Amino acid sequence: MNQYNQTKTNDEYDVIVVGSGITGGWAAKEFCEKGYKTLVIERGRHLDHPSSEYNDMKAPWQLDNMGLAPEELTEQGRYSQLRAKKGVLKSDSIQFFVDDKEFPYSHPKERPFMWTRGYQLGGRSITWGRQVLRWGAKDFAANAKDGHGVAWPIGYEDLAPWYDYVESYIGVSANKDGLDVLPDGVFQTPWEMSSAEKHIAKKWAEHYSDRHLIIGRSANLTEPSALQTGLGRGKCQARSYCQRGCTFGAYFSSLSATLPSAKKTGNLTVVTDAIASTVDYDEQTGKASGITVIDAKTKKQRSYKARVVFLCASALASVQIMLNSKSKTFPNGIANSSGAVGHYIMDHFMGVFAKADVLGLEDKYSYGRRPIATYVPNYRHEKTEDVDFIRGYGFQATAGSRPNSGTTAKSVGIGAQAKNAAKQAKPWQFKALMYGETLPYFDNKASLHPTKTDQWGIPQLHIDAKIGENERKMIKQAAADIEEMLKVAGCSNIKISQADLEKHFTLGKRTHEMGGACMGSNPATSVLNKWAQSHDVENLFVTDGACMSSCATQNPSLTYMAITARAADYAAKLMRTGKL
Amino acid sequence: MHEIKISRRVFIGATAYIVSAPLLASIFSSKNQIHKIVDNGQFFNAKELTILTDIAEIMIPKTDTPGATDVNVSSVLDGLMVTWAGEKTKQQYRYIISQLDSIAQATYQQTYSHLALSIRQKLIVELDKTAFDKQNTALSKSYRKLKEMIFHVYYTSELTNPDFVLIPGGYRGDITKNELTAIQKRGYL
Repeated sequence: MNQYNQTKTNDEYDVIVVGSGITGGWAAKEFCEKGYKTLVIERGRHLDHPSSEYNDMKAPWQLDNMGLAPEELTEQGRYSQLRAKKGVLKSDSIQFFVDDKEFPYSHPKERPFMWTRGYQLGGRSITWGRQVLRWGAKDFAANAKDGHGVAWPIGYEDLAPWYDYVESYIGVSANKDGLDVLPDGVFQTPWEMSSAEKHIAKKWAEHYSDRHLIIGRSANLTEPSALQTGLGRGKCQARSYCQRGCTFGAYFSSLSATLPSAKKTGNLTVVTDAIASTVDYDEQTGKASGITVIDAKTKKQRSYKARVVFLCASALASVQIMLNSKSKTFPNGIANSSGAVGHYIMDHFMGVFAKADVLGLEDKYSYGRRPIATYVPNYRHEKTEDVDFIRGYGFQATAGSRPNSGTTAKSVGIGAQAKNAAKQAKPWQFKALMYGETLPYFDNKASLHPTKTDQWGIPQLHIDAKIGENERKMIKQAAADIEEMLKVAGCSNIKISQADLEKHFTLGKRTHEMGGACMGSNPATSVLNKWAQSHDVENLFVTDGACMSSCATQNPSLTYMAITARAADYAAKLMRTGKL
Repeated sequence: MHEIKISRRVFIGATAYIVSAPLLASIFSSKNQIHKIVDNGQFFNAKELTILTDIAEIMIPKTDTPGATDVNVSSVLDGLMVTWAGEKTKQQYRYIISQLDSIAQATYQQTYSHLALSIRQKLIVELDKTAFDKQNTALSKSYRKLKEMIFHVYYTSELTNPDFVLIPGGYRGDITKNELTAIQKRGYL
């Protein structure tokens, strides 16, 4: 049953929000709570919360096909990008991901780009990683400091109160670590580190002043506030089945939090199965007049009008809508007088994976499935004499539970002996994955394909992005760093895997694609001002990942949310004073 | 009367039921200790199911913990052939089962299901070694894929995961074996 108001023909709204994911939900909540009639346009299907599509209450043996995705999908060439993302395509959550064969996009054959999407109400907030990390002052200052990309028009101080605001609402379990590079915030009780992680953290603290292993900062409730329980959200039960949807609403999503908050006001209208095709531009007023959508089922076109438009469709989808919104004033896409729309596409890159045994803790175990990993914040902001790159990297790491010996399913061995030797407790194992900052390269861009369209006639997005020499140098150094760090921690059986630096490195794998409508002070070189408001079209805001001017190394969703809440507050003030 | 529509999702979900259902009626031969399956399955015929059930039990025999037969591996696999397996997998599984019978005939002049248990065990052990030693043959690829799935079904089953807790209620990362056992025994933190 659809829980939200339905649209009526020719309805006019104060605000249209395109997208119902992590930023769309925030824009909707903020405007609705400020008293503005708000329409949320979602291209995917309706989804309730809790939903019958959630599989979080199923044991492994109760899942469709014992957890395996049907092989016919592979035979038919479907979900090819998701299959390339090892371990993601499973029967427990496949319904929340998009099949790139059905919803194609384009990239150079020799330079694949991975664009992971979720077409349902709530978007990718159903399946996000929930690691919520503030950016530090150095992250916002980086572009101005080294001259790459467009200098940020805001600094940490501008966003700090909005980080507080967002964290208070969504619920963040974290430790106050006191690190400048990763400012503390409004936190609930942190998750515990395992004995192995505590051991490594201690060793590094003894040896390094700049490298820290901290518990991840997770949007999973550990001490729900009255506001959160009032929304029907409960404490996280440590199942780590978040990607299946959470019946308890224990992790933050649009479905569990912002959309219900918006709905409570009576100001929210949601339309699903409506694909935003263009932002409509009024040549007379010089403003956006609304959004034209194509009905996903009937393929019929219709338009909605509003005083203000917020694009929150996800970085690349918003870029696609902007480029497709052509007019006399903006023949190359709305709000694109700078020519910067579609440029500076970024994502975090991995490049290095390390694992090692942590011996001496064989009498220690864990219980429960912690929903977050540990984290090594970027310790390479400052260029030192021993390295030849700028920016830096951190690591997402874990030793949350003891591994076991596995089985002989993929090796020689059957019978009682092999069975008895299977799944025996092994020593703790620590795994670390590099998260590097990709520079904002102008040439990394998304454009409309000149000939290919989707089944609704919308030009496909063509994404062409790659890492450069700076990133390759970082990969080499990160491999050396983590090997040294694991030795310092006294680890054994250290294994380091480094990406082949001669080959193309596929961006998009982290689902942290950003950029394409960057913020900046100069309208000639940037798309948005310091409020994520278009320089060219004053009632158009873009507050999803597209607005990012650099990508730092932290997971970006918290920053997107803070930027969205701040922009909505600003837009509402302009609306109240009649300026919009 | 209500019209009942069974969606594909519900149909696929029926696999979960199959796991715990007493399926595959069989006649146990005390002569060579093989369960002869009586009826055809959804995908495999009775003869194929007899061989498949036997292979699975030889790979994962009953010890002080359940064996493959106890957790209905072959019947679950039979259901998965309809809901999960692609065409290539279907061919590979049929191929390896028929090849086993052919090998039995060629080597012992008997069908697989007529061989003594000790001979069948030797045959599968040998096949296991060969399959991982020479991985480029069709026989190896088919065998390894079947083995992988038998293990997946077995180790994902309810009977083989007695300590699984759907809702742990919390996480502790630094506890002793005794503390862990106590938590598991009382069923909550």
